[in-house]
Amino acid sequence: MELLLQTLINGILAAGLYALVASGLALAVGVVGIVNFAHGEFSMIGAFVSYLLFVGAGIDPILSLGLAAVVLFVVGALTYYGLIRPVLAAPELNQMLLTFGLSVALQNLALLLFGADTRVLFTPYQGATLALGGVSFGLPPFAAFVLSVGLLVGLYAFLGRTRLGFAVRAVAQNRLAPGLLGIETQRIYLLAFGLSAALAGMAGVMLSVMLYTSPTVGFAYTLKAFAIIVMAGLGNLRGVIPAAIVLALAEALVSTYVPGGGGWVEAVFFLVIFLALTWRSWRTR
Amino acid sequence: MKKVLVLWVLLLAGLALAQTTVRVGVLLPISTVAGKAALNGVQLGVEQVNAGGKVKIELVVVDDGNTPATAVPALTKLMTVDRVDIVIGGLASGVTFALSGPVKQYQPLFLCIGAASSVVEQAFSDYGRFFHYHPWDYHNVAAALEFFKYLYENGARRVAILYEDGPFGSAGIQTYRAQLQNQGYTVQAEPFKTGSGNFTAILTRFKAFRPDILYWIGYDVDALPIAAQTRQVGLEPKLIYGAPPAWPVGFEKNRLSNDVAGMTAWLPSVANNESRRFVNLYRRKFGEVTDEYMAPMGYVIALSLGRAVEAASSADKDRIATELAKVQMDTPFGPLSFKPSDTGRTRFQGFNQSIWLQFQYLEGSRRPVFPANRAARPLRYPGNY
Amino acid sequence: MILVGGVLLLALLLPGLPLGEWRAFVLDTAQFAFLISGLALAWDLLARTGQLSLAHGAFFGLGAYSAALLAPGLGTLPALLLGGAVAALFSLLLGLSTLRLQGMYFAIATLAFSEVIRTLVLKAQFTGGSIGLPVQPAFAGAYPLGGYYLAVAVLAICAMVSLLLGRSRLHYAMAATRQGEAVARVLGVSVVRVKLLAFMISAFLAGLAGGVYAMKTLFLTPYDAFGLGRAVEALVIPIFGGLYTTAGPLLGGLIVVSLETWLRLRIGEGYLVVYGLILILTILFLPKGLMGLLARRKGGRHA
Repeated sequence: MELLLQTLINGILAAGLYALVASGLALAVGVVGIVNFAHGEFSMIGAFVSYLLFVGAGIDPILSLGLAAVVLFVVGALTYYGLIRPVLAAPELNQMLLTFGLSVALQNLALLLFGADTRVLFTPYQGATLALGGVSFGLPPFAAFVLSVGLLVGLYAFLGRTRLGFAVRAVAQNRLAPGLLGIETQRIYLLAFGLSAALAGMAGVMLSVMLYTSPTVGFAYTLKAFAIIVMAGLGNLRGVIPAAIVLALAEALVSTYVPGGGGWVEAVFFLVIFLALTWRSWRTR
Repeated sequence: MKKVLVLWVLLLAGLALAQTTVRVGVLLPISTVAGKAALNGVQLGVEQVNAGGKVKIELVVVDDGNTPATAVPALTKLMTVDRVDIVIGGLASGVTFALSGPVKQYQPLFLCIGAASSVVEQAFSDYGRFFHYHPWDYHNVAAALEFFKYLYENGARRVAILYEDGPFGSAGIQTYRAQLQNQGYTVQAEPFKTGSGNFTAILTRFKAFRPDILYWIGYDVDALPIAAQTRQVGLEPKLIYGAPPAWPVGFEKNRLSNDVAGMTAWLPSVANNESRRFVNLYRRKFGEVTDEYMAPMGYVIALSLGRAVEAASSADKDRIATELAKVQMDTPFGPLSFKPSDTGRTRFQGFNQSIWLQFQYLEGSRRPVFPANRAARPLRYPGNY
Repeated sequence: MILVGGVLLLALLLPGLPLGEWRAFVLDTAQFAFLISGLALAWDLLARTGQLSLAHGAFFGLGAYSAALLAPGLGTLPALLLGGAVAALFSLLLGLSTLRLQGMYFAIATLAFSEVIRTLVLKAQFTGGSIGLPVQPAFAGAYPLGGYYLAVAVLAICAMVSLLLGRSRLHYAMAATRQGEAVARVLGVSVVRVKLLAFMISAFLAGLAGGVYAMKTLFLTPYDAFGLGRAVEALVIPIFGGLYTTAGPLLGGLIVVSLETWLRLRIGEGYLVVYGLILILTILFLPKGLMGLLARRKGGRHA
């Protein structure tokens, strides 16, 4: 019983980081309609912001969260302005190749600047543990979970309660013929893409604390984040956390209860996605 | 004035005559940490050799891209366009295996820096110009097992093994399991995907097993998550022992690294003359101290090649190979000389299990703790995790 | 058509050309470039029905592993064909279950398929598992240029199939399916049949290319053979060259691989930054890929 409880908690907390990376991606797909292959590289930049501020200026990663969000908002806005806007009218495949090119360029630029080294930070709380009864879990994963829930709730509130939020939703639901894009729409796209990058940046800061910082750190989670937003239904922000929890729980249960299950984690993750997608497609029609 | 010039020219010409020049191809994954370190080491060694004046080594460096599809054409280019007779390379096992075909076709003197997999040993078993410096995987296993024997004597009985599911982690796993059981251990082994950062579920599974030793065979990216999450699930092993090819930068400053043990072929703090010399030269050239043992490995290859060329006083690859086979020298890893490999499959094997040493992160730096004759400090067992 | 023929003729004659000291290197690089271009052509065939596949790395890998395992018993050519057949069989299963998925949903389902297959190969015993699988060279090494000509043959087959399909009735059925399944059905197109057929042909060709790849690298590991990188390359090249054409993926593949090779030799460290930038600039300034550029030169005809 205790083992089951511990496993469930492991799974749910692991979902936090997944959802954090996925939320920004969902926003970019949902509002701007862009499948951003460079999302992981935005996270990587966030991780380096956190790492460099820590090593260079002794700034704690918790404080870097806000800074990374601002930096990445600017990066995202510039990316939108310089690269995404010109191809809004282009076929989806062209947009994908563009963001793929950006991803390759950013990752290798980081490689050139910082080398391929895996770098870790050192804070007093990386190993911090919370114990409740017979189960225990880490503070950083818990914080990541709370952060991603908080950010997504904030995002829902923004979309549902504010005037600007309404405008964003209106634009998202009604992608006008891009030739007719009004200035208002353009601004909302800019905002949404910037926010998406800012979310990626914050996820990157958490990566730098919980895992490591390197030019390739963005990749591991982005692939899974893509799968999560597709499972949630493209553009469905509300579905992100449930989808992440289902997948992370599947992973945790397999790793804990199946001998040698650790080697099947990836397969189970993607098998669940595959089954969910195909099952849904056959049910609705 | 003119006379001086003529004298100079004569002098230079004389030097050039006495000097043997060889062109050497270097084929490494230079965008990886280990590959870059190896390249730095080779370049440093070549600088030393060239400074001696009797031998001049010219390097032609090509990226092997860490994949066969890039490495095979890259080797071809070295052989046919750059026309080198000697190649330093072969870091990753998979890539090196793929190179075995073209190497046999072009017949260079192949100085292999890594590629520990014994699959590679089989692939090169009928090739006479193959000098393998790095120990084979069975040497690595033997070195780790010696350490486990020592731990058993200290009361350890149960080993939980976390191994990554690629060739690096999986290659020796059956041997490990069998050998550890031979030593009297109870073993539970679980695979994982490297870089996933999420170990809580597997570690929770291990909890019921109550391991004395958590042994992980993976990469540097896994180090911090394993150290942190072992605590977070309350596994409380007596020793976390890891065998990644490299450790993360800054890990020693993280409190979570304290008491974590690992295996390496070399540390900058190793106390022998050659090692100190290497560290000083490396610092002078690159402005930093490297932790990567591939750096001194590259350096050793370049130095030994320099000696062989000097002894052969010829650029002919077979005469150089003959001399290289006779080389005996002190290196940062200890003495180097070439012998047939333990399985008898290849003729020129450089290092064996004796270069491996076990260290422990203690108070913010890595200190050798085993074997006893090289230990700077006693092993802290049980450690505090 | 002339362009495609020219490229293939050049490929055939390449070993005889006076390339001097670069000959061996050019042939090696060309062989990999042909296989990647073949894979890209195969991917493009499926894309013509509007389906964006991320499973082509897996079909490539399935073909590679099957051919490698079968070649010692059956000989090179039957093994290669069977490798393609195995890939086609898997594509049938995948195609049947994902019939109703479109766009990103289809893409992620095919990605999921690849990851599952890779894990299965990693865990199986007869594939050599994670240690890897040594492979015999084509024709047991009897002909030095055997592998090269096999790659040329694969490229020629892919290009032929692509050209023929571009002129067949199936072509219109595929285009109609791409533009909207409902409309296609009204037009009397059997959407299910068209999609499955395109998927199987496409996977067969991808598997064929994979088999020849295996006989060139002589060693397969699941992480290399089923790498996501190759699936992405299979889609980058047609977009770069020009979608839904034969010359596009063909030229695109040769140019992308040559460019990458040239940059690596020229720049060395950091060459992929330039590579990424070139991809970005291509999309910004050549939205229809290289074929768009050629069409523009010819006076604005549609590519």
